[in-house]
Amino acid sequence: MGIIILPPVVEDIIPHHDESDDSMSVDSDEDVEMSGVRAPKRARIGNQTVSTGVVTPGEVVTDDPQWMRGHGTYMTPLSTSIIATVAGTVHKTNKLLSVHPLRARYTPEIGDLVIGRIVEVQSKRWKVDVAAPLLAQLPLSAINLPGGILRRRTSSDELQIRTFFSEGDLVVAEVQSVHQDGSASLHTRSLKYGKLRNGVFLAVTGTGGSGASSSTTKGGVGDGSLRPGASSGMGGVVRSRRQVWTVNTHNGGGEVDVILGVNGYIWISKHADGAAAASSTTENVSITRMEEMVSTSIYSSQNDVIAPQTRREIARLAQCIQVLVQGGVRVDEETVMGAYEASLQVDLEVGDDEDEDEETRHEGREYLEGAKSRRILELVVQHVK
Amino acid sequence: MLRANSANTQDFRFWALDVSDNFVYLSTFHVKEIKMMADRRRINGPPGGTRPAVFASNLQSGTSATDRAQRQRQPSELRKIFLKTGLIPTASGSSYLEFEPSASLAAARANPKSLIPPSSALKLACTVHGPKPLPRSAAFSPNLVLTTHVKYAPFAARQRKGHIRDSSERDLGVHLETALRGAIIAERWPKSGLDITITILEAEDDRWWGSAPDSHDASWGMMNVLAGCITAASAAIADAHIDCLDLVAGGVAAIVSDETTGASTGAPKLMLDTDPAEHRSILSACVVAYMPARDEITELWLKGDSSKASLENNDDRTGHEALIDGAVDAARGAHTVLAEAVRESLLRTVGQI
Amino acid sequence: MSNQRQASSASQVPHLSPAELSYLYTSLSLPKTPIRPDGRSPTQFRPLTAETNILPGTNGSARIGFADGTQAIVGVKAEVEKTVLSNETLARNDGGAGHEHGDQEGSAAVGGHGSWVQMSIEIPGFRDDDALPVFLSEMMRESLVGAVGTDETSDMTGGLKGRLVINKRWHWRLYIDVLLLSQPLAYPLPLLSLTTHLALLSTKLPKLKSQGEEDPFFDDDWAVAEYLYPRPSLSSGGKKSARSSFVRPPVTLLVISVGDNIIFDPNREEIAVADAVLAISITRDSEAGNLKLLSIRTVDPPSRLTPPGVPNSENVSMLGAVAPTEDVAVLNPATGEEEVPGVWRPRRGGVKRSVIAEMVKTALKKGGVGEEVLEGLEGVEVS
Repeated sequence: MGIIILPPVVEDIIPHHDESDDSMSVDSDEDVEMSGVRAPKRARIGNQTVSTGVVTPGEVVTDDPQWMRGHGTYMTPLSTSIIATVAGTVHKTNKLLSVHPLRARYTPEIGDLVIGRIVEVQSKRWKVDVAAPLLAQLPLSAINLPGGILRRRTSSDELQIRTFFSEGDLVVAEVQSVHQDGSASLHTRSLKYGKLRNGVFLAVTGTGGSGASSSTTKGGVGDGSLRPGASSGMGGVVRSRRQVWTVNTHNGGGEVDVILGVNGYIWISKHADGAAAASSTTENVSITRMEEMVSTSIYSSQNDVIAPQTRREIARLAQCIQVLVQGGVRVDEETVMGAYEASLQVDLEVGDDEDEDEETRHEGREYLEGAKSRRILELVVQHVK
Repeated sequence: MLRANSANTQDFRFWALDVSDNFVYLSTFHVKEIKMMADRRRINGPPGGTRPAVFASNLQSGTSATDRAQRQRQPSELRKIFLKTGLIPTASGSSYLEFEPSASLAAARANPKSLIPPSSALKLACTVHGPKPLPRSAAFSPNLVLTTHVKYAPFAARQRKGHIRDSSERDLGVHLETALRGAIIAERWPKSGLDITITILEAEDDRWWGSAPDSHDASWGMMNVLAGCITAASAAIADAHIDCLDLVAGGVAAIVSDETTGASTGAPKLMLDTDPAEHRSILSACVVAYMPARDEITELWLKGDSSKASLENNDDRTGHEALIDGAVDAARGAHTVLAEAVRESLLRTVGQI
Repeated sequence: MSNQRQASSASQVPHLSPAELSYLYTSLSLPKTPIRPDGRSPTQFRPLTAETNILPGTNGSARIGFADGTQAIVGVKAEVEKTVLSNETLARNDGGAGHEHGDQEGSAAVGGHGSWVQMSIEIPGFRDDDALPVFLSEMMRESLVGAVGTDETSDMTGGLKGRLVINKRWHWRLYIDVLLLSQPLAYPLPLLSLTTHLALLSTKLPKLKSQGEEDPFFDDDWAVAEYLYPRPSLSSGGKKSARSSFVRPPVTLLVISVGDNIIFDPNREEIAVADAVLAISITRDSEAGNLKLLSIRTVDPPSRLTPPGVPNSENVSMLGAVAPTEDVAVLNPATGEEEVPGVWRPRRGGVKRSVIAEMVKTALKKGGVGEEVLEGLEGVEVS
């Protein structure tokens, strides 16, 4: 079973059907009232009320002059009606009316935890791809310089700017401010932030939908995704309480860190314990130097020794996230962990089914394709309910 | 459904245009393609072109079997290579390479019977410009950025080549780039670019000129040209003092089936450094770029059916393995010339000081 | 983007950080059991969806969608064209002087000509004279016209070229137009090659009504049209033996080597760390039934252009904080270079002959990857 070639023509239609089923069920999970109420509310558009639910561009959201125009809408100068400019759901904040698109590129907001890839190095700052319409910038003044947190920036730091971050490097950072034009300014002034290593990168849909599908610099989106259109569904990383957590993996994988960037970029890596990381480079470090140690290792591009078991579990986690994205399920700690547990369970189920010899069963066993991914999705949806 | 009543493709195409909409799409597609390939900067001649007059007397004499070029070398004997570096003063590195004319060509030159030379011998010049800074608009590169251009001079082959690079020339450029990039140590030259330009002054024939043009149309001559390009470019890079792991040399081997070679049978045999004009039928050929010091191949291009090769009895290699090994042997031969040429030019400069 | 393309014509360099590259390389080079980022086994292909005969205006067509959403459509069109006989051949025919050239004079008519097959590849984001499309189309065309059937009895004597001959004065010209629908996420060769294979399998030519050297004249009933590559008749009992005796279009497989492992159908990240990348074209040998090699081309591995990682011991931004190195450089047996574990070094040099031999063997061997791929493609319903 080395190669799975082609579910041919017929199969091509079935998944489509499946997908719409999936996304429908997800839809109804998330906004139950919405799909139920949609039809009657629409009918009342003329009656000076606000249409809720889904609107399409050009559709009159309301004629009522009491509402204020928000994002995703416009007004003609001659009338009071507010008209949608994007396809999405209507949101009301007090008297402000806005339409949130179902699918859009990531729009940075202050405080977002994001993962970005350095695409350009300038004299005093980096340009970072964060899957937003514009490149974010990371000024040299917004990073922790090595050798102590309170050190002043010098001209020699400017000259050796590439030793901190260079083209292609991945950084985890926080959005410090958003400029007028919507571009973000990042900072890494915390021990949590810095250069990423010891793991794999994934680009999925970010907040508000797919940011990844048209990005040219992304690493490799959805190599496991079965259905191209699926990633444009409701799935993707959502802003949540915890964007970073540690998984205690099975199969001897040890601890694995997952960082979900709000922009849809994800990093899964071997757990780096601050103290352990420091002591792995030098023995007996005094506690006062500890902080200093950690802050310097954030510019390392050397991977630690990572056991094959850990690598395997990292790959499994990455695939679980892909499965979620294909299925149009939101990606957060709960669903990722659900999918991870489900994938272990599915493995057991499959293992019971097959009585072939060890070797052939092992072959490609870790690949979560078609049937397996569907099963995982089912389990996750059940679990989340 | 399709019934062609017109002799000319062009006519056929427009005839088809009338018939159905589906045809329109594709025919316009091809018209567009033709336009893309035309050179907009020059006044182009008529697309058809004309054939030069062929005189019957030449033809008759040319087609007699005795005039057909024949391989006089042993199967593992290589042609002599003339290679000299540093001939172009404006370039940071340059080289000129020439293959020894085949025995029949030498004979024909000494004692011309026909206007048409029986075969051709490769001649090419290579220039290296750089390392030089990348243009401001270019993105940062931690490595040396290599670009290769291979161009046939219009008069290089029997059929005139145009001034713009055609697909075979671009293809050669890609092959050459692959071959060289493995050899140069690119991280020694960050943020800089290196342009390698090869002009082919005389190309190897793809077949004996007198054979029917379709007899073996695969471009075997191109493989010899590539091998020459690799060797010459390697010499020019060394001449430009760019760090490289080893001098990378090109070599060609082929599996040929000639009545003349295996006297008794036409069993396909492995030959090194084949001149396509000297062989009736080449079944398979292979060109490698090889670094002897590391025993590594940076570029491999093999095509044709190598499964029929008759090897020695105690040889349990498969056809393609034998072919690759043969090409490597040819490259080793070229490497000795290459090393000698580079050393020679070095001694020359030292002598001047 | 544009200067990237210029820099590495055959392969695009993905933006990956040295740490990612190092992680990938180590995972993929684990002895015996490489861990691929998507959990596939080394010889496993990405799942794909395929259908044929999707374009009514063509003689044959196919669409394949890869898992990552990249799709390719291939349309094959055939036109009747007059064979240009060279003056030389004509002269020889007239004079009858060319007895010894008998085989060659016939060859234009019997053997066909490689230029009768035209291939164009359109990849979004690339001009049609960029190196990548040119390289890909040359690669696929050369194995296509190079595949010569040796089975004297079948229609396919002389392979595809021979099949295109109608009679001495007329032939078919085949236009194979390959369209990639989105910018490629990975090196698009396997996708394009598989789609072209399917499209050719589904290609039909109208049935010839005229005979011999007459001007050709065809049956306008599409239902009786004949396949370009004859299909095994369903009635024949012994499926496998019947199938193997037919000439099939070639398939080009993309194979990489990472460390000691050989990996098929690499995705974008895997290719970025490959020690060597080979495009291997194979087809079924019509006589023996097993696979034979048609062509090999090395593809420039993008790993040569990747940014290097900096070992902690040499990292300027870590100086003073880290004790002098205890990292010991280890010899990587696959590349013969000294490397600090966990630090990415761009690949340099070439590939060993033994590795090439092993890669070809894995593709060709009985029950190997090549056979499975061809088998799978054969299984696609050609309507």
